[in-house]
Amino acid sequence: MNYKIKKLITNWRIIILVLFIISSLVAIHPTFNKGVAIRNVVTNSSASIAGIPQPQPNIQPVSRERIIAINNVPINSVEDYYKYVSTISSNRPMQIKTTTRLYKLITREKFGTIQLNETEEKNATQTVQRNATINGTIQIINETITKKVIVPKTKQISLGTEDLGLKIFEAPTTNLRKGLDLQGGTRVLLQPEVRLSEYDIGILLDNMKERLNVYGLSDLVIQEANDLPPPLGSGNQYIVVEIAGATEDEVKDLLSKQGKFEARIGNKTVFKGGQDIVYVARSANEAGIEPGGCGISGSQSFCRFRFAITLNQDAAQRQADATKDLDVVYDPVSKRNDYLSQKIELYLDDKKVDELSIAADLKGQAVTQISISGSGAGANQQEAIYNSLENMKRLQTILITGSLPVKLNIVKTDAISPVLGEGFVNNSILMSLLAIFAVAIVIGIRYRKFIIAIPILITMLSEVVILLGAAALIKWNIDLAAIAGILVAIGTGVDDQIVITDETLHGETSTIYNWKEKVKRAFSIIMLAYFTVVAAMFPLIFAGAGLLKGFAITTIIGVTIGVFITRPAYSAFVEIMLK
Amino acid sequence: MEEQNKEQQHNIEHKKVEPKKNIKQILLEFYDKKYKQLLIIPFLILFFSLAQIGYQVYKTGDFIKKDVSLKGGVTITIPYDKDVDTKQLEKLISSKFQENEVIVRTLSSAGAVAGIIVQADIDGNDNAKVKSLLHSIETSLKINLSEVNYGIETIGSSLGASFFRASLRALILAFILMGLVVFIYFRTFVPSLAVVIAAFSDMAFALAVVNILGVRVGTAGIAAFLMVIGYSVDTDILLTVRVLKRKEGTVMDRIISSIKTGMTETITAMVAVIVAMTVTHSDVIRQIMLILLIGLIADIFNTWIQNVGLLRMYVERKAKKGINI
Repeated sequence: MNYKIKKLITNWRIIILVLFIISSLVAIHPTFNKGVAIRNVVTNSSASIAGIPQPQPNIQPVSRERIIAINNVPINSVEDYYKYVSTISSNRPMQIKTTTRLYKLITREKFGTIQLNETEEKNATQTVQRNATINGTIQIINETITKKVIVPKTKQISLGTEDLGLKIFEAPTTNLRKGLDLQGGTRVLLQPEVRLSEYDIGILLDNMKERLNVYGLSDLVIQEANDLPPPLGSGNQYIVVEIAGATEDEVKDLLSKQGKFEARIGNKTVFKGGQDIVYVARSANEAGIEPGGCGISGSQSFCRFRFAITLNQDAAQRQADATKDLDVVYDPVSKRNDYLSQKIELYLDDKKVDELSIAADLKGQAVTQISISGSGAGANQQEAIYNSLENMKRLQTILITGSLPVKLNIVKTDAISPVLGEGFVNNSILMSLLAIFAVAIVIGIRYRKFIIAIPILITMLSEVVILLGAAALIKWNIDLAAIAGILVAIGTGVDDQIVITDETLHGETSTIYNWKEKVKRAFSIIMLAYFTVVAAMFPLIFAGAGLLKGFAITTIIGVTIGVFITRPAYSAFVEIMLK
Repeated sequence: MEEQNKEQQHNIEHKKVEPKKNIKQILLEFYDKKYKQLLIIPFLILFFSLAQIGYQVYKTGDFIKKDVSLKGGVTITIPYDKDVDTKQLEKLISSKFQENEVIVRTLSSAGAVAGIIVQADIDGNDNAKVKSLLHSIETSLKINLSEVNYGIETIGSSLGASFFRASLRALILAFILMGLVVFIYFRTFVPSLAVVIAAFSDMAFALAVVNILGVRVGTAGIAAFLMVIGYSVDTDILLTVRVLKRKEGTVMDRIISSIKTGMTETITAMVAVIVAMTVTHSDVIRQIMLILLIGLIADIFNTWIQNVGLLRMYVERKAKKGINI
């Protein structure tokens, strides 16, 4: 017996299986996290002003920042959070303790404007054009006049305490990402009115992400879903937007807004997205890190990026008009008079997203080619390069916004109830476990040997673990379709193990074959079955706007893990224990 | 020690089986000798399945009863834990939507009601209609929907139709690819064709039974039909590999050994499917499991009578030409 155990733990197939199980557990990273995790921070809310950062879109679920206590009251659940927050009044200091640090913020009062039945007189300024004689010639000049107008009187009233601006959810205890049907949220399927090229779709997706992020939605999936081209498929082009924890109305509202981009100097709009920006350079030789643009400042590295945009003549003229009266100011960094006194501010859907300094030589010049530069910092040069390229990409995306005049039709919206979602998770786990045990019992009855039933049970469970580990690693969302896929994968896995058991043990095959030959024969059946399942699932990846993609891919990954990792280990086990 | 146990077990089994042997032998003999006549059974079932599907097309214009995910419409899911008369509720809501089809089902877990699903083939982009549907649910159930976390899924009718076409193409493509893999491996026409016919018969049977049961099939159902192909092919491949590529024993011995292995596969799958079907909350998963279960039942006679019969005819014809398999 000892000899067999020794042989088992030194068998390379079993070692590989164990390694895969361990790394899967590491990837899944089960924890006993308590508290509530921050999903989104609303821009300009009291939470964002206090410095609570917007979570990174790709952050692993268990590494999300969690709220532990507010004003020293422990917060252990979503209910705790809302219960506490509903009691706080306006203009009070508050301490939010999270897993990373302690934030101090002041609650704000929410105001609403109501119209009264009275009217009042107000001064309004207006710019009018007038003919005037200057130096003997008649010219049109702009003149600002002040008018008295009568407007309805309005009054500001308090609407209670303003929301802190934190969107929170029950802290995840593993790195598994639950799909929408398991956690609740909204899925919208959009179809562009005209067929877009791969390049345009890429820009569009970046664009939508940027815009939705402006609204504090970072926990989202935006991806392209295409049917196969005719005659193999319908050739439809779709965009799937999935936002966890958002309501249908919120998402519809956001997506129906045309992406509006404006660049302002002072309060004058100099150019708008769509019509004014003719071209934004994005290729590697026109956009990137400035040559020699990296340096060290204190303990931080920083890099500068640069790319060119082309404006149309009108926008260039507006730019010239807006800058001609600005002062040139001293720049402490370059120690020269390099920049103008006002910055150019970028607005996306009327929210300020960025600002850029204007080079002194652009003052009053109607140039159409403008070079835009900026920087990024990091702990080392590599990080600085990465960050500045990220900043550059973001800026380019903002500048392009609106320049894709394509209408997106909403073809399908799903609002998935999170209450049912919570039930689904426990129910699906229960279902899978019961199905697995039922299979183990049937196997036990058939072979009347624990030594066969137990390894088959272990194999099934380890397949689930490895499959979930793979899902956590590639950031795949576990939804209902994926659960169905896991069941198929395990089901075919059991079929294969029965084949291995019968081919090797149950004397149907005569003794003229040695063990290796028997295993080889079992695998010839298994591999053929494997390829047919993959062949059958493959077309589903590209059908029906990708709604069954999760099912197909989970099945394919699952059977692949089975054939290459767990099946060899099972056959090695059977060989060592029963030979 | 272990060896001894095994032997003892073997003896006991032997003794138990002995008195039954006569009936078993008669059946086996019949199965062995009359395989050509037996072929009538699966082909008759296939014929009836296709006839049912034909009738369905004639009657409804579609070979399947589509649910809103393939037809277009609205699905509303409401968490609700009281008992409710779905038929009554269906009537109440239908009375306000005369020209539409309204279906009400309950979501249950372990016997208790967990929620209600209302499906209606109304235009999901028609806000007024959706609102009036929500309103009629509120009044019928006497609840305030804004207080519960309900879910709503809408799908346009043209999109539903395009999903259906896309899924159908995927299904056909899956068949072709699967057939291709089998052909490439066996490199013989008749046995490969027998595998494909068996998978096709399984699917036709599942489709016909689903139609008779009146199940409305959604996108998940299409996935389930694909899974039927997968499971069906497992046993057919097992049989064909054992009969064509193995040399020990007679052809009949190899078939019997395949039945032992194959039936174990099918029975374990069936047990798992039945467990999943009874435990799950989700309609989607229940539908997948139901279609799989029907496919697995079909697979029993389509593999062990139809595929075996065709394969034996092929082997015999080869034998006449002097090639022994």
